[in-house]
Amino acid sequence: MNPSSAGWRTPLIILTVGCIILTLSMGVRHTAGLFLQPMTLDHGWSRETFSFAIAIQNLVWGLASPFAGALADRHGAGRTITASAALYVIGLILMAQANTPLAFDLSAGVLIGFGLSGTTFAVIMGVVGRHTTPEKRSLALGIASAGGSFGQFAVLPVGQMLISTYGWQSALVLLAAGVGLIAPLAYAMADGHKPAAGAGQSVVEALREAGGERSFHYLFWSYFVCGFQTAFIMLHLPSYLVDGGLSANVGMTAVALIGLFNIFGSFIFGWGGGRSSKKNLLVLIYALRAVAILIFMLVPLTTAGAWIFSAVIGLLWLGTVPLTNGLVAQIFGLRYMSMLTGVIFLGHQLGSFLGAWLGGRIFDETGSYLIAWGLAIGLSVVAAWCSWPIDEKPLVRQGVAA
Amino acid sequence: MKPQWRWFVGGVAAALAIVLLALIFVAYQSPELLLDWANLRYCG
Repeated sequence: MNPSSAGWRTPLIILTVGCIILTLSMGVRHTAGLFLQPMTLDHGWSRETFSFAIAIQNLVWGLASPFAGALADRHGAGRTITASAALYVIGLILMAQANTPLAFDLSAGVLIGFGLSGTTFAVIMGVVGRHTTPEKRSLALGIASAGGSFGQFAVLPVGQMLISTYGWQSALVLLAAGVGLIAPLAYAMADGHKPAAGAGQSVVEALREAGGERSFHYLFWSYFVCGFQTAFIMLHLPSYLVDGGLSANVGMTAVALIGLFNIFGSFIFGWGGGRSSKKNLLVLIYALRAVAILIFMLVPLTTAGAWIFSAVIGLLWLGTVPLTNGLVAQIFGLRYMSMLTGVIFLGHQLGSFLGAWLGGRIFDETGSYLIAWGLAIGLSVVAAWCSWPIDEKPLVRQGVAA
Repeated sequence: MKPQWRWFVGGVAAALAIVLLALIFVAYQSPELLLDWANLRYCG
């Protein structure tokens, strides 16, 4: 047990609650696309109007993550999570009431984006990281990542069921009620803000220190690639399979397989990060992604091939999360872990934005995804190359007890 | 908790988790979800 844990807030309780919060926040966010058709039909909006709000959401989520992390690091994760959950709930309810594109941008885009920044990886991982011993930290982060992965996998069919049964407006309110559960759960994450290594630093000093470390930049850009690949594959793989002559059912099963194997991959790489070099595992993930995509491109497109590719890429999907977050904690300490992982997550979101948009743009320009797949392979090689020189040793600070 | 009970409870939890994951996986084959998934390429 970590000395920073006290009373009933044991590491197991914090990890379990963190998993539930990530399941709810990541899961509900993943259902956004299901509302496109009913909302655009009811309001007479174009698909671009809807997509624009979700693009805003992704960018706000990324841009606000460092600030949410800094708030959690300075004023406590419990308050940050509660306030963010409130914004998330209000955003979902206002999204149900939005009658104009502007109202939709502000609710689904801005409010939910802010809500996500304080209820997802940056803040939750910081609390989980602070309450586990260095030996068990990577495993704990892996389990928490698996919670988020489970949410993405499990809540999508639930969202569809709610829309089919109650209509899209009621479904949004019911999902808001689900997100509302995060607020009381946040009480368990109120860890009393126990300073650890680097306690003498200010936020600006911590940012300046991280900005001066090459390893931080390597983590940022490798996470950018992760975002690019996952957004591109998740959004465009079903269409790629259908364009290749396979049925829509194969596309759906491929998405389900990615979600299913992602749960195991998050756990396995978190566990592995506690036993061997985290940066070497990151190199392995990005290298294997490049090889998997290359083979997928070279062999003829078949149903079995699509399923095998989906399972493999699912195993490699969010395994980067516990490793990247674990490296931030290992190198820079726990004091500003949430803020620094928030900065790196911004790189992930910028990559996601580019992967989602560029995949469609390339297809529209060339009538094929081939260049986009090639880009995904090339970026994977760059990410593996970026991860290799990461210095995993904790920073030695003058005048600060480690 | 005695070790043998710990294994039993762990085994039951693992079995239930597998059943839950299998049920969710099957839910993905829902025709309604299949139809709407195409929308995700527009909005992530």
